[in-house]
Amino acid sequence: MNAIEIKNLTKNFGEKQALKGLNMTVPAGSIYGFIGENGSGKSTTEKIICGLLHPTSGDVKIFGKPLTDAETRAKIGVLIESPGCFPNMTVWNNLMLQAANLGLENPEEEIRKMLKLVRMEGAAGNKYKNCSLGMKQRIGIAMALLGSPELLVLDEPINGLDADGMRIMREVLVDVTKHGATVIVSSHILGELEKVATHYGIVRGGKMIKEMTAEELDASCRTYVALQASDMYKTKNVLCREYTRVEEDESGFLRVYDVEKPENIVTYLYKNGIVVTEIKTAKIGLEEYYIDLMKETGAK
Amino acid sequence: MEKKLKKQTFFQRVKSMLKVDGRRLFLSPLLYIMIGISFVVPILILVMTTMMEGTVTVNPQTNLPSEPMEGFDNVWQILGAVSSTSGDAAAGMSMDLVSMCNINMMFFAVVVLVCIFVCDDFRSGYAKNLFTVRAKKSDYVLSKTVIGFLGASAMFIAFFIGAIIGGGVASLPFEMSGFNTGNLVACMLSKLFLTLVFVAVCVLASVIGKQKTWLSMIVSLGFSMLFFTIIPMITPLDSTILNVLLCGAGGILFAVGIGAISNTVLNKTSLV
Repeated sequence: MNAIEIKNLTKNFGEKQALKGLNMTVPAGSIYGFIGENGSGKSTTEKIICGLLHPTSGDVKIFGKPLTDAETRAKIGVLIESPGCFPNMTVWNNLMLQAANLGLENPEEEIRKMLKLVRMEGAAGNKYKNCSLGMKQRIGIAMALLGSPELLVLDEPINGLDADGMRIMREVLVDVTKHGATVIVSSHILGELEKVATHYGIVRGGKMIKEMTAEELDASCRTYVALQASDMYKTKNVLCREYTRVEEDESGFLRVYDVEKPENIVTYLYKNGIVVTEIKTAKIGLEEYYIDLMKETGAK
Repeated sequence: MEKKLKKQTFFQRVKSMLKVDGRRLFLSPLLYIMIGISFVVPILILVMTTMMEGTVTVNPQTNLPSEPMEGFDNVWQILGAVSSTSGDAAAGMSMDLVSMCNINMMFFAVVVLVCIFVCDDFRSGYAKNLFTVRAKKSDYVLSKTVIGFLGASAMFIAFFIGAIIGGGVASLPFEMSGFNTGNLVACMLSKLFLTLVFVAVCVLASVIGKQKTWLSMIVSLGFSMLFFTIIPMITPLDSTILNVLLCGAGGILFAVGIGAISNTVLNKTSLV
């Protein structure tokens, strides 16, 4: 069963068309990494899923039911843009408001559990306005998790989080999906997303340009050979004569893509008077895959 | 995932939302600031106008003296005037200082309270959390109107208490001429019921303005100014049970009608 099914979704803001017939399928129990440039329509799609924006046209189904179904909406936990807390109220009181809105049976216990989950037990009495950006994000996640939602929609949840906060976030996401929940998470920090996502959706210009599983991403990620040699400038020139794509990366390695046998490169360079000092093979990650895809679709 | 949400009936939903909004309003410093202002304003008006009564200013260009400044004749004048049919003073018709500086100014203060209270939901993002879960827009409008009414009532009561204390400080007479205590209670009740209309208009302006508090305030203040001169006529000091019933029924009907428009606005427009 799919948690979300979107067909031909469009959304216009006056003259501007934010979504241009977007299709999206999020399988139940998945962590769906929702990726795209700024202004590509990610947040708009998420807001429509949460019922905060009305679509211009198209069909949105949550757990097979229309978006307007109140019972279905009650299954959604959301963190979009900001946690939606009152700055002058304490963290505890803000969570209590949300718990009351949800009609939780045992709000105090549930809030304590969520605060513990996001490692914020000690900050319950703090005023929200006095919390750091990372703390606010964690509060937002705790708020979204109240009532054990079956669908969690998180828009840029790791923005402002420190390394520990990101680790906690990963643990939380994996934990909720273990309990059967589905998570849609949009982020520009693709390295972090790659560690947890089971499915991906890449959106550009209001259209879904690619949907795939983590396995499909892995299969379609190109391998490359990274090497260091005695004369890097000469090495690059020599490699460019033989191979179509040679790039220098941030760590000072030369990357040679689409190489069938790495040992051939060593032999080829040796014949040209270059000694390879270090060589390794690797696969491109989500970030590079995404950049490549953006270049391809941009060219189209 | 294990569901921990209770199924709620209409009354349970509204009760829980009222509890949340009540908790929010009564934890908010805004309410206490507005109640404080409502309490202090009548004391200041009564004491200052009594001190300045009879003061004559001279125009330096013409050397002609102005009319002596008039003050309040008794404490109850700050709550309104008796209607033209039963007393000497024409309620709502005169536009002098004592007729304008009275409890009816509180309707403007109600605008500030309700607009800030409702727009804060949209500015903080709380409305986003609320409407994503199972909150119904009609429950939201109802809850805001009821809680806004309670806040407005607290401000009117604070003004009333302030007026009595201010009258005592200014040594103004408390005598009731042309009306009695029952009429006074009816007058206050009529004004309270009338606030329902203003609260409903403020809620409507706020759900239209959303994060734009200034816009909802301008719209609501415009409405208040439009109806400002009518208020003394329908809630005079010698109000009877008929005034209370008419203001009560009118207030509820207007609140329901305007509330329905607010509900439609929330359903038809984007919530962020």
